[in-house]
Amino acid sequence: MRDKRTPASRSGRRRRPSGPLAAIEAPARAAQARAGRLAILGGLLWPVQAALVAWAIAGWLTHAPLAHSLVAGAGFAVAGILRALLDQWGGAILFRAADEVLASERAAAIARESLRSAGGVTGGADGGPSSAALGALVAQKLPLLVPYLTHYRPARFRVMVLPFVFIALTAWVSWVAALILVVAGPLIPLFMALVGMAAKEASARQMVEIGDMNALLMDRLAALADIRLLDATERTARDFGARAEGLRVRTMAVLRIAFLSSTVLELFSALGVAMMAVYVGFSLLGQINFGAWGHLSVGEGIFLLLLAPEYFQPLRDLAAAWHDKAAADAVAEELAAGAAAEATPVLGEGATAAPLPGPLSLRVEGAAVRRGSGWVRLPNFTLARGEALALTGPSGAGKSTALAAIAGLARAEVGEITVAGAPLTDANADAWRARLAWVGQAPHFLDAALAENLDLRATGADPAPALAAARAEGVVAGLPGGLAARLGETGGGISGGEARRLTLARALMAAPDLLLADEPTADLDAETALAVIAALMALKARGTALIVATHDEGLIAAMDRAVAVPARGPARAAEDTEAGSQAETSAETEA
Amino acid sequence: MKPLLTIFRKIWAAAPGAMTRGAVLTVVVLVAGASLLGLSGWFITAAGAAGLTAGALDFNVFGPSAGVRGLALGRTAARYGERLLTHDATLRALAALRIDLMRRQTRAGLDTLLRLRGATALNRITADVDALDGVALRLVLPLAAGLITHVLAFFLLAWLVDETVALWVALGYFVGGAVILTATARAGLQPSIRAERGAQALRRAVIDMGRARTELVVFGRMEAQRGTVLAADAETRGALDALDRAERRAGLALSSVATLLAGGALAIGGALVSRGALDPASAALGFFVALGLGEMLFGLRRGMAELGRMRDAAGRVLDDETAPGAVEEVVAEPSAPTSALTSAPTMALTPADGTALLEISGLTYRRPGAGRPVLDALSLSVAAGETVAVSGPSGSGKSTLLFLCAGLLAPESGMIALAGTPLPDLGERTLRAQLTLVPQRAALVAGTIRENLALACDDLTDAEAEAALAAVALSHVIAAKGGLDATLGEGGAGLSGGETRRLVLARALLRRPRVLLLDEPTEGLDPETARAVLDGIRAWLPQAAILTASHRAAELGWAGRVVPIA
Repeated sequence: MRDKRTPASRSGRRRRPSGPLAAIEAPARAAQARAGRLAILGGLLWPVQAALVAWAIAGWLTHAPLAHSLVAGAGFAVAGILRALLDQWGGAILFRAADEVLASERAAAIARESLRSAGGVTGGADGGPSSAALGALVAQKLPLLVPYLTHYRPARFRVMVLPFVFIALTAWVSWVAALILVVAGPLIPLFMALVGMAAKEASARQMVEIGDMNALLMDRLAALADIRLLDATERTARDFGARAEGLRVRTMAVLRIAFLSSTVLELFSALGVAMMAVYVGFSLLGQINFGAWGHLSVGEGIFLLLLAPEYFQPLRDLAAAWHDKAAADAVAEELAAGAAAEATPVLGEGATAAPLPGPLSLRVEGAAVRRGSGWVRLPNFTLARGEALALTGPSGAGKSTALAAIAGLARAEVGEITVAGAPLTDANADAWRARLAWVGQAPHFLDAALAENLDLRATGADPAPALAAARAEGVVAGLPGGLAARLGETGGGISGGEARRLTLARALMAAPDLLLADEPTADLDAETALAVIAALMALKARGTALIVATHDEGLIAAMDRAVAVPARGPARAAEDTEAGSQAETSAETEA
Repeated sequence: MKPLLTIFRKIWAAAPGAMTRGAVLTVVVLVAGASLLGLSGWFITAAGAAGLTAGALDFNVFGPSAGVRGLALGRTAARYGERLLTHDATLRALAALRIDLMRRQTRAGLDTLLRLRGATALNRITADVDALDGVALRLVLPLAAGLITHVLAFFLLAWLVDETVALWVALGYFVGGAVILTATARAGLQPSIRAERGAQALRRAVIDMGRARTELVVFGRMEAQRGTVLAADAETRGALDALDRAERRAGLALSSVATLLAGGALAIGGALVSRGALDPASAALGFFVALGLGEMLFGLRRGMAELGRMRDAAGRVLDDETAPGAVEEVVAEPSAPTSALTSAPTMALTPADGTALLEISGLTYRRPGAGRPVLDALSLSVAAGETVAVSGPSGSGKSTLLFLCAGLLAPESGMIALAGTPLPDLGERTLRAQLTLVPQRAALVAGTIRENLALACDDLTDAEAEAALAAVALSHVIAAKGGLDATLGEGGAGLSGGETRRLVLARALLRRPRVLLLDEPTEGLDPETARAVLDGIRAWLPQAAILTASHRAAELGWAGRVVPIA
C-alpha cells in the first residue's frame, strides 16, 4: 500500500521530472493528451463558424437571397453544438483521470499517516502533521489537484496548436492583422511566467495558513472548557480572529495576483481585438491601404474580427490555470514533505490478524527507541504467561515509549524484542498485537457510539462483564443513551477516572494475553484504584500477563516484579550490557 | 432558500459600500462585453457598406473606434475592480462569521463544551463557512447582474435593431437560461449536499484516525479505520462525479442555447435585411450582441450546481446561531440550566470582616434525571489562607461541588457566596477574576509552553512564567525541553501525564485567584513531587482560600481540614 507512489515516480523519471507535481500527474497524462486533442478539434471548428458568419454578413451587403442567411445560421448552430459536444466529452475524460489521481493520492496519504509512529502518545505523532492539519490536507487541499489536472494541461495542449492555426489563417487574409496578433500574443506567456512565480509563493503561504488555522482551531475547541475557566475567551477569540484574518489576507494575496494577471491578459486581448476592429474598419473605408493581399472585403473583415478573441482564448485559459497550477504545486510539495518525514512507521499494518501462535513470552534485550535527538532505553526483562511487571521510573523517563515499543508502536532500532519466541518484526506485529490490549494515558474516543468504542475488536461480545470488572457500569448508566452515547474526542462529559475505567473495560473486553497499561490508576480515588487493581489481578489469575507503567506504590506492590526504565542516554549504553543491566537488575525487586 | 438569503444579507451588510460598487461593476462588465462585440461588428459592417457605396468620406470613424477602445479598456478595468471588491468584501464577511461562530461556541454551557466533538465544530467553522463564499460571488450577484443586463439588452436591441431580434435574443436567453439553470440546480442539489457532507465525514474520520492512532493500531482497528476513511472518500468522489456530470451537461446545454440563439439571430437578421426592413450593420449588431450575451450564463453554472451545498451549509451555520449547544455533535442532555451566572459587568469584591471567602450553605444538587440528590444540604466555608479538602469515593459529588462553586452548574437549592456575594449576583468576569478552578481533565493546547501559560493572563513576563513553573517543581523539566519556547504537540502532547498536570497548575497560579478550586491536583505525581507542588501552591498564594477534591494521602495531609462527603 505504501509503495503506491513508486510507479508514478518511475514514469515521472521517464518524462523529465519537474518536481513532485509531475510525479503525481503522470498517471493522468494519457487522458490529458486525449482530451487535449478533442479540445483542439473543437477549437478548429471556430474558424468554420466564423467563416459562415462572414459569408452571411457579406451576403447581406450584396443582397444575397434569404436562403443564404438561413444556411449560414444553421451551419453556425450545428458547428457550435458539435464544439460543445467535443468539450463535454473531453471534460468527462479529464474528470475521470483527475478523480483517479485524487483517489490514489488520498489512499497513499492515508496509508502513510495511519501508520506513523505515535510512540504511545495520543495525538500529534513525531514529526507528523497534527490530526486537524492532516484532515485539512486530505479533505480540503488534495481536491485542489483536480482543477489543475482538468484545466492546466489541456490548456497547454490548446496553446501549442490553436494560436498558430489562427495566426496562419489571419495571415492568409492580412499580414498586418497577423502582426497585431503576433505582437500581442507572446507577451502573455512571458507575463504569466513572472506572475506564476509570485502566485506559487502566495499559494504556498495560503496552504500553510489553512493548515495552521485548522490546527489552532481544533486545539482551542478541545480546550474550550479550560479557556472559559481561565477567562481566556476573549484572548482566544482574538488569537483565532488573527488567524482567520490572516487566512483572509493570504487568500486575498493569492486572488489579487490572479485578478491582476487575468486583468493584464484581458487588457492585451481586449486591445488586440480593438486594434483588429479599428484596422479592419479603416481598411474597409479605404483609409488604410496596406496589409491585406488586395483590398480587404467585408467578409474577410468579419472573419478577422471573429478570429481575434479566440486567438487569445487558449492563452487566457492557460493563464487562469496558472493559478490552479500554483495551488497544486503547493499541495504536491506538502505531500512530498509528508512522505519525506516518514521516519519510523509503526510495525505492521494495524490490521486485524490471527493471533501469533505459541505460548506467551516476551523478552527485551538491550532495546532502545529513538526519541528526538536522544534515545529511550528499555530495561532488560523477560515475561511469561500470567506474570505481572511494573515499569517504574521518574516522570518523563520513557515509560510510555517503552510500552509503545513492546506493542510495536515504536521501532526499537537497536537491541531485540522477542515475542512468543520470534523477534518482533513488521511481519508478525499485527499478529502479536492481536494478543494485546492497551490502556493509554490519554483516552481517545472515536466518533461512534460508546458500545463500538468499547468493542474495538468488533467481537460483538456483551460488554457487561468487562464493564462490571472495570467498575464502569455506573459510568455507562449515567450517560444519556447509555451504550449508544457519543462522547467527546477525549472523553469529554465524563470525569478522568470514569474515562479511565471505560478504557480499562475496553481492554478487558479484548480478553488479551498481555495487557499494557500506562498509569491505569491515575485519576482514580483509592477505592476505585483498588477495584481496578483487583480487576487486573483477576485478569492475571486467568492467565493474562500484565505490564503497567506506573509510580503508584499500591499498584507496584500488586505486581510480581518492578523494573526501572533507565535514564535517557545514548543507544550504545543500552546495548552495552555491563553498566546498563547491572543497574537494571538492582532495580528489580521481588514483590 | 431563506438561510441563503440570510447569509447573503450578512455578507452584504459586512461591507455594503464595497458590495454595491462591486454589484454595479458586475453589470458594467457584462454590458461592456456585449457592447464591445456588438459595436465592433456594427462598425465593420457599416464601414464595409460605406466603403462599397463610396460613402466612405461621410462615415464618422472616430466615434465607433474610440468606443471600441473605450469599451475594451473599461470592461477590463471594471472586471478587475468588481472582482477585487466583491471577493474582499465576501472574505471579510466570512472571517467575521468564523470568529462569531467560535465565540458563540465558547458561550455554550460547560456540558456542551466538555462533550463537544472538536472535529465537527471544526467543520462548522471552516468547511461550512468556506462553502458560503459562493453565495454572493457565484449566485446572487451574477444572477442579478445577468437579469439586469438582459433587460437592458432587450430594450437596446429593440431600439437599435428590431423587436423580433430583441425578443428572440432576450426571451431565448431568459427561457433557455432559466430552464437549464433550474435543471442544473435540481440535478446538483443532492450530489452537492452529499459531496460536502462526505468531505466533512472524511475530515472527521481522518482526525479520528490521527488522534486515536495508538488505540486503533493496538486493537487491530487501523485497517478498518482506513476503510472508513476511504469509504468517505469514495462517497465524496462519487457525489463530485455526479455534480461534475450535471455541470458538464449544463455547459453543453448552455453552449447549445447560445449558439442556437446566435445562429437564429443571424438567420432572422438575414431575413429582415433581405426584406429591406433592416440595414446590414444593424443586423450584424444583433448577431454580435447575441453572441456576447452567452458569456454571462456560464458564470452562473457553478453557482447553481452548488446550490444544495451552500443551502445545507447555511442551514447548519445558522442553526448554530439560533441554538447554541443544541447542535448534532453534542450528546443531548436533559437541558438543565447550564450556567448559574448572569452577564453582569465586572465588579470589585470586598468581603466584610470575618466573612469566609467561600461560603457554601444548604447546597443541594441533583444530576439531571437522577432521583437521589448527589449533594444534599451541604454547608462548608473556606476562609482566606485556609486549605480544605473534600474527600469521598468516586461519584460522591466532589467534582460536582467544585463545578457548582465555579458557577458552571446551577444548584437546586442552597447558596454559594464569594466574599459575601452570592454567585448569581456576580458577573462571569468578576467570578473568573476571583476564582479559578482546575478541573480533573484540564487541557493544554498546541504551541509553546509560554503560549500555554499565557492563556491565563495578558502580558505574561518571562520572569513570572518561570516563577510559576518553579512553584510547581517544573522548572528543570521545562528547561531540559528547551525552556518557555519549547513547543507542545496537539492537545499538549510531548509532556507526561504528571508534567501536564503541573503545567496546568502553573497556568492556574498565574491567575492569582483569591479562591482556588483544585480537582485531584497531584494526580499522576509521585509523593515527593506532589508534596513539593502543594507547598509551592500555598507559597504562591498565601492568602487564597483553597478547596480541593482529594483522595490521595499527600493532598489530605496538606489540607488544614478534611471534609468527608458521602
